[in-house]
Amino acid sequence: MGLLSVFQRVSQSPTNPHPAAKPRTFDVADLYRGPVSTQGDTSDAGTPPLDEKLRQAYFWIVNTAIISPHYDVEYNDGPPQSFVMGDSRSRLTLPSAQSYSSFVLLPLLTFATRRKCLFIGGPGRGKTASAILMGVLGGYSVREVRRAMQHGHPQMTIADLLGNPLPADLINAQRIEDIRISWRQWLGMRVKIIDEYNRIPTRTQSALLTVMGDNYAEILNHIYECPDSAWFLTANDDQGGGTYQVIEALRDRIDVIVQALAFNPRFLRDLLSRIEENIRPEEIVPRQVVFTETEVDRMQEDIRAVKMPKEVRRRVEFFSSQFEFCEVAGDQFEYKTKDTARLAGTEWHVLTAQDTGRDRIKDLGCQTRNGVSVRVLMTLLVYAKALAYFRGNGVVELEDVRQILPFVLHDKLSPDGEAPFFDAPGNGVFRSDRIGWLRKVFDLSCADYDRLNLDRDDPVTELAAEFNRGLDGLTESDARVRLVKIERLIGEWSKGRKLYGHIYDDVLNLKYLHQRYTNYLRWLKTQ
Amino acid sequence: MPSPAFISILRSDRDEFNARFAAARHLHPDLEPDVFGEFLTTTVDELAQAVEKARADRLGDVMIAAYDAGLQLVGQRLAGPGSRFPCIEEAWRRVLSNAAPVVATAPGQLIPSVCNAVHQLASTAGARPEQWIDAMEKLGRECEDAATFLRLGQLCAWRAGLAHFRNGALAAADALPESLVLTILGAKIRTPWPAMREQFLASPWFNPGNETKPSSAVRAVAQVGTFKGYGGLFIEPPTVTASGEQLFARSDSEYWLLTADIFGATFHRSSVKEFETANQTPKLPHGLEVKGSRIAVAGERLDFPELGEIASAAANTHTLAITSRLTHAITLIALK
Repeated sequence: MGLLSVFQRVSQSPTNPHPAAKPRTFDVADLYRGPVSTQGDTSDAGTPPLDEKLRQAYFWIVNTAIISPHYDVEYNDGPPQSFVMGDSRSRLTLPSAQSYSSFVLLPLLTFATRRKCLFIGGPGRGKTASAILMGVLGGYSVREVRRAMQHGHPQMTIADLLGNPLPADLINAQRIEDIRISWRQWLGMRVKIIDEYNRIPTRTQSALLTVMGDNYAEILNHIYECPDSAWFLTANDDQGGGTYQVIEALRDRIDVIVQALAFNPRFLRDLLSRIEENIRPEEIVPRQVVFTETEVDRMQEDIRAVKMPKEVRRRVEFFSSQFEFCEVAGDQFEYKTKDTARLAGTEWHVLTAQDTGRDRIKDLGCQTRNGVSVRVLMTLLVYAKALAYFRGNGVVELEDVRQILPFVLHDKLSPDGEAPFFDAPGNGVFRSDRIGWLRKVFDLSCADYDRLNLDRDDPVTELAAEFNRGLDGLTESDARVRLVKIERLIGEWSKGRKLYGHIYDDVLNLKYLHQRYTNYLRWLKTQ
Repeated sequence: MPSPAFISILRSDRDEFNARFAAARHLHPDLEPDVFGEFLTTTVDELAQAVEKARADRLGDVMIAAYDAGLQLVGQRLAGPGSRFPCIEEAWRRVLSNAAPVVATAPGQLIPSVCNAVHQLASTAGARPEQWIDAMEKLGRECEDAATFLRLGQLCAWRAGLAHFRNGALAAADALPESLVLTILGAKIRTPWPAMREQFLASPWFNPGNETKPSSAVRAVAQVGTFKGYGGLFIEPPTVTASGEQLFARSDSEYWLLTADIFGATFHRSSVKEFETANQTPKLPHGLEVKGSRIAVAGERLDFPELGEIASAAANTHTLAITSRLTHAITLIALK
């Protein structure tokens, strides 16, 4: 046990033990495992599964590298202890299962899925240090990571970001194709870090958008294809406090946002010991938690293979169908969306003033100014799978979705601060706590889903399942029976029921099915 | 007063040893220099003197391994004044010092292994760390290499009550000298080890110490687990269930897997899922009946009036476990 090995100690497997699925066996070699480590314990003792390695990386970071004693991603396997404290009756929960710090967990999931994570928070809270750690986990040396990190500043040009044409070629070349480009090295890296991205000038942000969105860079008609990579961006203030306004398309490319929480002064001793011992965590990352390119590739495949049960998926569908609908935005059914109103430039207060007498507190859609995009939904599914994988599960649980959702939707679902929901007693806090609000909205959506008993009684799912079995061999009379079923259902729903987002989406789904059967009947007549 | 050789080694690599102390203190902020110093000058010095006599050329390596192990022990309050496990220091004095020649061959492996083994025995309810230390003190010195020493420790741990290591210990015994194995197991009959091994495999209740032939009588063999207030495991009288060869116990909202044989019984944390899954299968084999305070199996009857009405019963091939509302212990009955 040398000096460094203490800091490089990786948590012992299993880091998240699961109940044994088969008769338990005992290894007599375990007799000699215990509180005293054997010399050479830090050497590779077999290769753990990649999810275990990811958890080991997490625990190494939280135990040794980043002082983040926050467990805001809470899991319970039994009733948790909770306490109500303070004048505002705040609830403190002591989770009964392994819980995590989002500030470390989210970057790690981003690393594993090669997506894009934005760190926000005040200066000096470890945002850049965390990003550097991710680079080191990706197999790069600290020096490489530091050199490749792009620091946003007001004078940053596209050439600073992407590279320069060779000066000699600029003078001698007869054709633009002959001008060679000296591409910046960071473009080829698997972990890309943009520090203070909201200080980058707007024009350079557009070049960055191409790299982030389409994975290539372009200068003078020359193209550089970038490899798939994990992106880590930092911003001191994500609400427009940077030097330049971040263009919306760039913000939209960011998959998750994680906030650096405040330092707890009770951990000052840890800071002191770092100073006294001259330890920089990024320089002592144990090699057991460093991932090769192939390992990250495999991890991505494994994450994609994690199953999303129908019951969980349905609740995500139900949740996301709450927000886009806006009854007064359009005349034709398909255009009754907030996006229609936004594209037309209609003022928000004009829309809300025309509202149709729905219960604006109960209707979750009234809490937001926009809906959930396809990109966001895909991101949500990927991260939910990644979280399940990280926890050692092959199937996504509802709690995985509940925990990850606020970080994915943080900047994507805009709350309407004027909505009556926020004026309700106890809800004012959600105006500033975006994470808490999103989790609350998801909980309300799930409660509504349960109230409507949609797990057991969902006629649209039944009709869709019937359709998904295929039209091959379906007789004309059967197709007509199905058409009548659809029409009858819409007829029932139209009798005095108010329109809510989820009903709107269901009605459009029924219209889709109706059209498919109608087309099928037309085709049958030609046979 | 520490031996001159010991002091000389500490002096010669003073910076390195100080750095190790600083690193350990980062992990264990409660590591007290005075307590560690005391541990060095008593327990470690005793080992150093033994090694100096047996293998002076290896003293440096032994000291480094002992120093590192000591830092971890004292840092976790497993050694030194107020230690929760004084038997660990006893093992240093009696096992490691006594087996100094073999310890000197692989100190980085054997010193932590002995500490961990004693720690495991001492923290397992019902296990007997003193018995392990006695056996290793007597027989450890007979081992010629580290591998033999470690196998011997595994066999002794089973003998000292770690029933869950039964299969691994039997395999370890195959690689040890027969006379050593028979001594550890306390065999009174001079049966060759392969034959005795068969008897161990035939029944977990085979006792090599006092039987001329294996007993076939149904008999109560042990009472295991006690009230938590007396240092046991159970908050309330437990209930039992079985799945295949595995026995499970439940007390309040805690669940345990029970392994038991002639040398001891150990409990391992289980889950409600495992318990409930086991509960869905029949708990008693055909021909075994439990009624009131009595059990009947294969024409034999046993009565346990002191238990009152039997609250739960579960069996595997060799063992019946019964519980009652009047006691926090589980009574084990050998069926074969």
